[in-house]
Amino acid sequence: MNPARRALSLHARQLIAASLGLVAFLGLTGIALDKAFQSSLVNNMEARMERYALAIWDEVNFDRNGHLQTTNIDNLPDARFNNFRSGLYAQLDSVGGSWQSESVKLFSLPKPPEPRLGTLAEFTGPITLPIGEDSSIKAYRYTASTQLEDAPAVTLRIYESDEEIFKQIAEYRKSLWGYLGIAGILLVLVQIAILRWSLQPLRMLETDMKALQDGRQQRLDRIYPNELRPISGSINALINSERSNLELSRNTLADLAHSLKTPLAVLQSEIENADDPASFKGEVYTQVHRMNDIVSYQLARAARSGHALYSAPVDVLPHAGNIVQSLEKIYQMRGVLCEFDVDDKAQFSGEPGDLQELLGNFLENAFKWAEHRVLLTVKPIYEPAARRPGLYLCIEDDGKGIAPEDIPKILQRGVRGDERVQGHGIGMAIVQDIIQSYNGELSVDRSQELGGARFSIRLPCLS
Amino acid sequence: MRILLVEDEAPLRETLAARLKREGFAVDTASDGEEALFHGREIPFDLAVVDLGLPKISGMDVVRGLRDAGQKFPILILTARSSWQDKVEGLKYGADDYLVKPFHVEELLARINALLRRAAGWSKPSLECGPVKLDLAAQKVTISDVPADLTSYEYKVLEYLMLHAGELVSKADLTEHIYQQDFDRDSNVLEVFVGRLRKKLDPDGTLKPIETVRGRGYRFAIPRNE
Repeated sequence: MNPARRALSLHARQLIAASLGLVAFLGLTGIALDKAFQSSLVNNMEARMERYALAIWDEVNFDRNGHLQTTNIDNLPDARFNNFRSGLYAQLDSVGGSWQSESVKLFSLPKPPEPRLGTLAEFTGPITLPIGEDSSIKAYRYTASTQLEDAPAVTLRIYESDEEIFKQIAEYRKSLWGYLGIAGILLVLVQIAILRWSLQPLRMLETDMKALQDGRQQRLDRIYPNELRPISGSINALINSERSNLELSRNTLADLAHSLKTPLAVLQSEIENADDPASFKGEVYTQVHRMNDIVSYQLARAARSGHALYSAPVDVLPHAGNIVQSLEKIYQMRGVLCEFDVDDKAQFSGEPGDLQELLGNFLENAFKWAEHRVLLTVKPIYEPAARRPGLYLCIEDDGKGIAPEDIPKILQRGVRGDERVQGHGIGMAIVQDIIQSYNGELSVDRSQELGGARFSIRLPCLS
Repeated sequence: MRILLVEDEAPLRETLAARLKREGFAVDTASDGEEALFHGREIPFDLAVVDLGLPKISGMDVVRGLRDAGQKFPILILTARSSWQDKVEGLKYGADDYLVKPFHVEELLARINALLRRAAGWSKPSLECGPVKLDLAAQKVTISDVPADLTSYEYKVLEYLMLHAGELVSKADLTEHIYQQDFDRDSNVLEVFVGRLRKKLDPDGTLKPIETVRGRGYRFAIPRNE
């Protein structure tokens, strides 16, 4: 596979997902805390300015005409009011005159507008406050004014630069994001540790598989977590089936070689000893025939090589249709008709090739022996707890049938083709092997309906 | 009867071709799929025997190619593979019968005869028209159960005419189906055979089995018994 397109490891996926979540969570938390802190700072400032205003208000004296008397207020609530351009400024305006705190020097604060009727307290900001010719600051403003009928209008304005707030916010942010960063790193580390721990069984499986591949291990013996147990179970089953397949093909090969040795030995002795050309020819012919049967039988066995473990179920109807069509073509002139009673839900849980061999061999026999009619019945066998239903196949014909005393000979297993009842030759041995490999049963009797032979095959449910 | 034999294994091809010729068939052979399709599309064979494992073009594709080219003659496939899947597939692609290798030549001959009869619409192993009876397997002819003594070419002409009993068979057709490719096609020879056949089948001139359709050919005139 192209390394660039390689699938991300589970570990990386988990880590990326968790880290993204963490970043989003910590980021939003940080932003929320930041906002809350800012607004509390501003609220604090408003409260502080209100206090300053009250304090200054206390210090202010008016003469009898209501004119502002105080031109110097000593007892200011914050030393910054006396420091030049400290960022905290106060301004008092009245009909009789005006007053500014010591911090306002070499520039003047903008003149407040004429106060409205009644008393007013107002906090705004940040606004731009010019200080001097060419510089300005951002500041918050608190305005308190009275305009009563029997007294002159007075407006008190306090400005505070936002520098202080900014300093505090910067300070706060530095420590906030610092802590969040540390928390994030810790959480990621914890996450990595958790991942390593929870993916541990997978790594274990990987090592075991490697050991299997290298042949250091025969199967997966360790106890895996529940989620992995189906996988390890399947792998073990696969190993077993592979091993038995290997054994089967070894056996097939050995069987083939051994069983060919006998006819070869006969041929050799014939070549060395036979005098009569006619009997020599006859013997060669017999042995060739025998070898052919042996090869066909073993080939069919090898081709099947055990049925696959998880083969998809095969619909019986189309296969049966194809085979019957073929047979009707071949046996056209015999005028044999095949009737179907095939349940369209019937499925064969195994190799399609095996189903074809079963249907083909039994149906061909039936076509061979039938007078006019062949009946194919296929039904599923249901059992309550079974994973897949079983299969019942029945092939009947209206031919002569099989004598009861010949039935055991037909069903005899391991009898070589040339020793079998004529007409039920090598095909019979093949289908019996197939039926056995599916733990099925074969029975032979007389057809109730058609009067000829009846072959019934039962393949059990899979649980 | 003219047969196309397609088999890549030279010894088998030659033995079979020799045997088929001995049985009275005109045989054309091909050793690969390409050659088989070339012959099969050009020449009006009565039957083809096609091995499935062929070089260049597989036997299955030869069968399909012949059917696609509109050839309707019966095709018998030979195969070393005996699984049902292979059989079903071969028959689906247009073959009419199959034989698994190794086989007895007798079995092959029986299948060939059965296919030829079937293609001509005969269902019994012997062709019977009135008193004339032709046994395809034994290659014997009897008239009212009396054996007729025919030469092999006379037999071949009669066999072809009787297989197509009731149909018009042109001289060209007859020549094509009876002789090997390299035979000198002199229609006078055919007329001689037909003349001799008439005498042997119908010495007293009452049966009139073979009808001459002027300028067009011959027709076996006695109706089929089935």
